[in-house]
Amino acid sequence: MRLSERQIAVVRDIAREEAGESAQVRVFGSRSYDELRGGDLDLLVELPVPAKEPAWLSALVSARISRLLGGDQWMSCSAHLILSICRCTKLPAGRVSCYDPQV
Amino acid sequence: MTPKSKLLERLRFLVRVVRRQCEHVRLTDQRLFVHPFTAERVRKMDANIAEAEQVEAFVARFSRLQDTLGDKLLPCYLEALGERPGAVLDNLDRAERLDLIPSADRWFAIRNLCNQMIHEYIEDPLVLADALQKGHEFLPTLLEAAATVIAAIQEREWLVD
Repeated sequence: MRLSERQIAVVRDIAREEAGESAQVRVFGSRSYDELRGGDLDLLVELPVPAKEPAWLSALVSARISRLLGGDQWMSCSAHLILSICRCTKLPAGRVSCYDPQV
Repeated sequence: MTPKSKLLERLRFLVRVVRRQCEHVRLTDQRLFVHPFTAERVRKMDANIAEAEQVEAFVARFSRLQDTLGDKLLPCYLEALGERPGAVLDNLDRAERLDLIPSADRWFAIRNLCNQMIHEYIEDPLVLADALQKGHEFLPTLLEAAATVIAAIQEREWLVD
């Protein structure tokens, strides 16, 4: 996974500040592969209960992370939410391979 | 025409554009959000062509207003103030410090929200409904920012020749 310790901490802290302490964050997409270069940061945020405002939560998390990591060369961050552990939101960008490591 | 007068001409043009965009999005908002936008309304959109087109109009107008304000009018105003044009985030931070917008973070988040208002991309009715409803709730933020920036320009008498 191509994230530094500082970047991991930023992502985790913001996700938990906005989505609650029990939010679990995973990286997927190109950033989860060590051998690739560049690319946006795609995050999966898992919540134990449905988010009341899923679109706003996703927009806010991705905006805050993008701004704080903006000095680290890439700016674009998409935060996709799984609304509950029993129900998966279909993500707009196609299938999720959900490569784990968990952040 | 001097560079400064060219800049002011562009500023006046952008103010006219933003004023029109504010009026257009306000009209669509008033028609679309007579009732809250729910997941149920989203589910019926495929069969309700008129509503689907109205949603598209709202999303397009909302996005265009925010883009014109944040990416064009604000940087032009900052340049007219003698500042060097910067990246979008820098301009938003500067606008926040000048009290032109309430929060650069929030502005950026509202920008991200627009991506989730697109009917064809968002397959979960709850997510789309939430995005549209939040767009409606944040529209006053955009309209107020437009009014604030235009008032600041007006105060400097830059809207008159």
